Amino acid sequence: MRRGNFAIPVKLWALACTIIGISLTADTVLTCVLTVTGFAYLGAQRNWRLLRSMAVFYALLGILLYLIRFHDFHPAVFSEFYVLMFWTLTPVFLVSWDLITTPPGELASFLSRIHTPTPVILGLLVMFRFFPTMKSELRSVWLSMRNRGLTAPTQLVSHPAASCEYVFVPLLLRCLQIADQLSVSAVARGAERPGKRGSYYGKRADVCDSIWLALWTVVTAVFLVVGGVRI
Amino acid sequence: MITLRNVSFQYEGCGEGVHDIDLIVHDGECVVLTGPSGGGKTTLTRLINGLAPSYYQGTQKGSVSVNGTEITTLPSWRIGQEIGSVFQDPKSQFFSSELAGEIAFACENYGMAKQEIRTRTEEAIASLGLDALRLRPLDVLSSGEKQRVAVASVYALRPHTYVCDEPTANLDSEGAARLADILRKLKDEGNTLIIAEHRLAWLSGIVDRFVYVSEGTIQWEKTPAQMRELSDEERKRYGLREIAETEISLPMLPASAGEEHLFCRNLTCRRKKAIIFENLNFALPAGLITAVTGKNGAGKTTLAMALTGLQKPGSGEVYIGGKSLSAGKRRKAVWYSSNDTGTQFFTTSVTDELLLHSDASPGRLERARALLKTLGLYAYKDAHPAALSGGQKQRLSIACGLLSGREILLLDEPTSGLDGGNMRKIAAVLTEAAAEGKTILVITHDKELMQSCCNFQWELCQ
Repeated sequence: MRRGNFAIPVKLWALACTIIGISLTADTVLTCVLTVTGFAYLGAQRNWRLLRSMAVFYALLGILLYLIRFHDFHPAVFSEFYVLMFWTLTPVFLVSWDLITTPPGELASFLSRIHTPTPVILGLLVMFRFFPTMKSELRSVWLSMRNRGLTAPTQLVSHPAASCEYVFVPLLLRCLQIADQLSVSAVARGAERPGKRGSYYGKRADVCDSIWLALWTVVTAVFLVVGGVRI
Repeated sequence: MITLRNVSFQYEGCGEGVHDIDLIVHDGECVVLTGPSGGGKTTLTRLINGLAPSYYQGTQKGSVSVNGTEITTLPSWRIGQEIGSVFQDPKSQFFSSELAGEIAFACENYGMAKQEIRTRTEEAIASLGLDALRLRPLDVLSSGEKQRVAVASVYALRPHTYVCDEPTANLDSEGAARLADILRKLKDEGNTLIIAEHRLAWLSGIVDRFVYVSEGTIQWEKTPAQMRELSDEERKRYGLREIAETEISLPMLPASAGEEHLFCRNLTCRRKKAIIFENLNFALPAGLITAVTGKNGAGKTTLAMALTGLQKPGSGEVYIGGKSLSAGKRRKAVWYSSNDTGTQFFTTSVTDELLLHSDASPGRLERARALLKTLGLYAYKDAHPAALSGGQKQRLSIACGLLSGREILLLDEPTSGLDGGNMRKIAAVLTEAAAEGKTILVITHDKELMQSCCNFQWELCQ
């Protein structure tokens, strides 16, 4: 079954609730309440992939925290502080990752509704395209370097600066080329038209959205009341 | 109607451009701009869709008008409503990773109501037969599918004129055929088509008039019937490709063809759980050129990468010179020229690129010089590789391969987007390299190239 998405205001509110919750709480361990709500929130949107990977990550953090707290475990490579930090921040990671993996069209539609200028919306759309494009270009550069024999360990060790240049120069030039082509494509398709932008997307808020809006508010409020507030 | 009267245009900061252009394109007509690379076809398309001089800055003289309105007086977004543009490389034009979002993009920019955007998007998807691509991310589509999405994103806006700049440069013959169906439909609907293109055979039955652009100006115009009457000699003189689709008669790659330089035993490649190809057994003869054909997604590029050692095959062995070589050793023995030349070069000049990782002995320099002259790149010997055109980059990549000292060359679509003259130059260089004993495998859909220089054909089936 395909992933669903709550309306953008709900997602933004969920993010605000988690940030407020973890910023004000006096009981860091109790942030698991927000995390569990976050998992349920992902499940309600059928975002199984993120739910699975974050559940594994959170379980590992839980085990580490248990070992540190009750078995005097001291990790060799990282401090206990980081374990607690990630444990506390997990609800923010969950909802923010869910927000940024929302289809860019939905985000653009929301921004258009709140009268965001078109250049800002286009900038956002380009940003979302940037990462997958750069990943694929970086792979191409690496393959070309291997083909030319520029990735041999002796080459990398004896000429580190040149090796960096071999990666960055074609990558930056490709960036410029893609930016140029993208700009031309936008200009030719009316991106410079003044006025409000329309949208193909734009989910209307329904009962589910309202329920989750209320749920995040209630859970955060209860969490702060029970766990205490530290300002 | 589009009218260009006594138009000249020169790009800012360089001497390139077009001059003394007089051209009238009538409503519903299909005009193909053809001619050698660098002749001025693309500049002409940019003048028609208004990108020059508004985006590509320069000095324009004369008049370009659409239905009597001077195009330079219109803002870019107004021109976009009248004239839709389809570019060469669709993958770097997309603003969305989803089919519907991309097709709706232009309509969104024009501030249409949501229902109108949806209606037009759905109509474009249905009309251009893209329904099957709806759930697939655009990044994983084939070049042909991406180009059809690019046309659909323009179609949704319902312009009356379509300007296409080498739309088949990255397409195989099947992709070109499907694009031809779409353009035929657009023409039947009464739209005007202006297409800058080297490959001409796929346009058979669509084109009304060929306009030959060379040295920055229109040299002549011919009807399809007149073009068909051109002799081979005349076609070669003009650097043109075949006018009509030709059947080629190459022998299939035999199980054994003399001295084998490279052979594979039970080569299998998988991506995640999908089998790309399985248990391939074949041998490439030394001193001959073998053409690998096959539909998009058949695994031709994956095969080339596995043979080169750039990608590990799931199982099987690759023997070179009778020895089973590891991926690392194969990379030293086999050269691979990718179809995507955008990220293949690492130095600051064409000469340095040819001499990368090698000595600059007089003999080698002389060889590099001769090769650059043969491939028409000598004038660019001090130019930055990034400043070269796509076709020039393809030729430089082949030159690098020939000078790399590796005995086996794998070339992925080396002539896509090349005019007839440059295609023949590559065919000549490959024939010479094969005569010197190099083993060459060319992944190609270019029947003219295959006919010009290949000894065998081998079809890779999915």
